[in-house]
Amino acid sequence: MTEPSKGLLRAQEIYQDRSHRVLELQKQGKKIMGYLCIYPVPEMMTALDIVPYRIFGDMREPITKADAYMPTVNCAFLRSCLDLGLKERYSFLDGIVTSHICDVGSSLSGIWNYAVKTPFFHHIDTPHTLHDTSLVQERGLLPEYQKALEGFAGQEMTTGKLKEAIRVHNEQRALVRELYELKKQDPPLISGVETIRVIKVIESIPVDEGNELLREVINEVKERSDGPQIKSARLLVWGSILDDTALPEMIEGLDANIVMDDTCVGSRPYFSDVEITSDLMDGLAQHYLIDVKCPRTFRVRDYYDVHKDYMKDLEFRFSYLTDYARDWKANGVIMESVRYCDTHGYEVAGVRDYLDSVGIPSIYLEHDYTEGALAPLRTRVQGFLEIIS
Amino acid sequence: MVRIHFAGIDLGSTMTKIVIMDDDEQIESSVIYHTGAEHRRLANKVMEEALSKASLSIDDIAFVMATGYGRINVPFADRQITELSCHARGVASFFPNVRLAIDIGGQDAKGLKIRDGKLLDFVMSDKCAAGTGRFLEVISASLGLKVEDLGDISLRSTKKVSVSSTCTVFAQQEVINYLSDDVPLEDVIAGLHDAIAGRTARMVNRLKVEPDVVFTGGVAKNVGVVKALEENLRCPVLVPEEPLLSGAIGAALLGKEHVLKALARGETIQTAKRRLEEATFFK
Repeated sequence: MTEPSKGLLRAQEIYQDRSHRVLELQKQGKKIMGYLCIYPVPEMMTALDIVPYRIFGDMREPITKADAYMPTVNCAFLRSCLDLGLKERYSFLDGIVTSHICDVGSSLSGIWNYAVKTPFFHHIDTPHTLHDTSLVQERGLLPEYQKALEGFAGQEMTTGKLKEAIRVHNEQRALVRELYELKKQDPPLISGVETIRVIKVIESIPVDEGNELLREVINEVKERSDGPQIKSARLLVWGSILDDTALPEMIEGLDANIVMDDTCVGSRPYFSDVEITSDLMDGLAQHYLIDVKCPRTFRVRDYYDVHKDYMKDLEFRFSYLTDYARDWKANGVIMESVRYCDTHGYEVAGVRDYLDSVGIPSIYLEHDYTEGALAPLRTRVQGFLEIIS
Repeated sequence: MVRIHFAGIDLGSTMTKIVIMDDDEQIESSVIYHTGAEHRRLANKVMEEALSKASLSIDDIAFVMATGYGRINVPFADRQITELSCHARGVASFFPNVRLAIDIGGQDAKGLKIRDGKLLDFVMSDKCAAGTGRFLEVISASLGLKVEDLGDISLRSTKKVSVSSTCTVFAQQEVINYLSDDVPLEDVIAGLHDAIAGRTARMVNRLKVEPDVVFTGGVAKNVGVVKALEENLRCPVLVPEEPLLSGAIGAALLGKEHVLKALARGETIQTAKRRLEEATFFK
């Protein structure tokens, strides 16, 4: 029998008890900063020796307290995050940084500050468009954020510290890309389920420890004999947050391997580096506002608003998905979104039209961010697999 | 001459359907039962009856294909395939020119885009019984009518009402309000049928409605819904002789095709144990 790989096993252990490591570090005097979505620039936390700890929801925990603050027609992921905050599951955090990820996320920020009361709180009003003034605005928000973090950490964020932090985070991005290279093989050397576990875990421990874990996983996965089996379908998953393995488990329990994704607990935050610019804040602003391709940032200006060319606009925004499908040999796309996630919901029609135009079959799954609600989706996924396989 | 037989079992949320056919694709027997809690577990009993009607034993069946929501609860099935593929295959066997199939069953509605007998795309209703057979069952029960009588009653309508919501509970309330206002029963029921048809038409429009359009599932037995669907889709709607059996027939045909393909490739046919036993959910 094959020995379980140590990196993957460690990732699974941390995945199941995500706060264990940061609580250990907190006892040693480290400060733990929660952040919601990827936009609160974790490099700036790392530069001040603060451990960034990403806020996630829990689709296995019924939402019972958040409904007193947020309507049920709001995104269930964000409601779940608040619910966990209200249930003191994030009470160990020394602070939290939120951003204007979407309107619901922005309103959640204020509610969290009012109702959960994490000791340190900062909100970044990240712009949503790519108009000329947007990058200026994003860049202009960072000095105030820097000052707030410096006050919290009791130290100055020197250029050297920030540069080193960007380097280590870029190293992590390179390692994630290296890991995804191993999914190009048939069968992929690491499953979609294992990938989500690893990515969620590296967003729950210090970045240098995450890099070490990634190296371990990469080395072990290259040598493994107990990896995924060849299946009829190789899928690309596009969509909103997937911070639980339940949906990928359902998909990979059928005749399919998830070989690539464009989701935010997946490749999305890792497939472009932060450029080391002469003013480091310029590179960070450019990366988070422009380079990360998330539907929360609207990219419709050049072709749709100005030239009124819908298909050209779709090509401009989504052609990278064709590259993913080609390079990872995906023969179908699953678009998934948490119900009431407006930013992804609005984008679905465009992604589908684009994929139709380039001949890549796709299916859209909307789910309630609850584990039990995934079962009815099985028939849809299986039907889709029967069509493409 | 020794004939080879294939069985298709469609364990739906409301009805269980079995078809046994020979290698000439002639149906030798078919059985339709309410699924219920027991029959989901006792798919074997339904199969026994179908075998008895065809004067066959389970060992005479070369391949059993299971489909429907309960497809994994058929212990003697050799393979499972979704009802989407099976309905498409079954419908195409009766209507080779079908381009859109609509199946409204007990708890969901599906639209299937079919070309040359092959399933190309599909849409399904969400997890809500509105616009399904269950919707009509609930309404007919609250009116003290038999669900199978709704269609004929609705054909007498001269001025159907508008039912604004297809949420089962709210629609029930609207129906009661209309009847309290002395609106004729046939106009209310025609309105309900129109609500189901409108909801279904909106759903399948994404697949681009092109004739031939075929309607299957238990609700296809309701002539009022068929008429309303034709009005909403603005094209004729074809209904097979037994609209409940298309999934099971499709399953049997896909089973046969699976066997032929495997034999052509020189592969051994993998089959389950040929024992008729109860499904066990607690393994």
